[in-house]
Amino acid sequence: MGVITEKTPLPRVKPVKFILNWGRRYSLWVFNFGLACCSIEFISASAAKNDFIRLGVIPFAHGPRQADLLLVAGTVTDKMAPVIKRLYDQMPEPKYVISFGSCSNCGGPYWDSYAVTKGVDQVIPVDVFVPGCPPRPEALLHGIVQLQAKIKDEDIEEKFRSGTSAVS
Amino acid sequence: MGRQLSPDDLGSRLRARFGEDVQVMDAFGHAVATVPVDRYHDAVRYCRDEPEFGCDFCDFTGGVDLGGEAGFEVVTHLWSTTNHHSVRIKTRLPREHPSVPTISDLFPTCDWHERELSEMFGITVENHPRPVKLLLSEPFEGYPLRKDFPLMSREAKPWPGAVEGEEDEDE
Repeated sequence: MGVITEKTPLPRVKPVKFILNWGRRYSLWVFNFGLACCSIEFISASAAKNDFIRLGVIPFAHGPRQADLLLVAGTVTDKMAPVIKRLYDQMPEPKYVISFGSCSNCGGPYWDSYAVTKGVDQVIPVDVFVPGCPPRPEALLHGIVQLQAKIKDEDIEEKFRSGTSAVS
Repeated sequence: MGRQLSPDDLGSRLRARFGEDVQVMDAFGHAVATVPVDRYHDAVRYCRDEPEFGCDFCDFTGGVDLGGEAGFEVVTHLWSTTNHHSVRIKTRLPREHPSVPTISDLFPTCDWHERELSEMFGITVENHPRPVKLLLSEPFEGYPLRKDFPLMSREAKPWPGAVEGEEDEDE
């Protein structure tokens, strides 16, 4: 968080890239955006039995400005969507988003609602979608592993170039 | 501590006070009174202030779209925490320019209920202290709980499940 910037030296030199990405993917400070029942599954995934802290996902960042990972769990309504966008914008680059559950993926059971945003990816870019209604905690663990695999091979300069709204 | 009154007793007292055109009925042990809209505010106030009624708690205020020309209905559920009986006050509104006086001056809790009523059904709440949307986003157009409100997703893909009233025909 914050330590790695677009000016980080030698990000393409292989050992440096390896070390940087190794460090980043095992210290994902998570910002929990629990909006509905999926949040309970998220909490369950963070608690003793499943315990995603062992994967380096440290709950919970004190606010968006400390977070690397935004986890949207639950039903995004049109009224809440601007708030998510605002908090996402407050997160420092490099940042990642996991959309957890059918509602935030695509509207889910509220596909015909007048008030629900049909997918949080209409508002912010999403790295990993976790399907399910709600997904089991194991599904979130798998989603986190997928995200870590993505970070492992990431080019930091490229990440900053493609970033939608880097806030320094 | 007051005395619990039966729905019939509550209904007959309301009729005696607000005229014979007030319809009263007993719905599952609750007194239900349908009053004309010009006596709606007075009826709620009466239920609150009359010691025999003692309805000091407003459970909810909501709306019903009766469909077609039948217009709307505003339903207010009052409960007496001392007498342990409830009164449901209903009032009918026309489809064109539906308007109902606020009762948030009597029960402050109705403030939000009436804002929701207003945004969902397009019913004007007169003299409301803050008549802005509660749940919907400000640019939202239309009144989603009206029967004729189109759900655009369903225009593209009709409801895949059973429709109420049609399940029996299949069986």
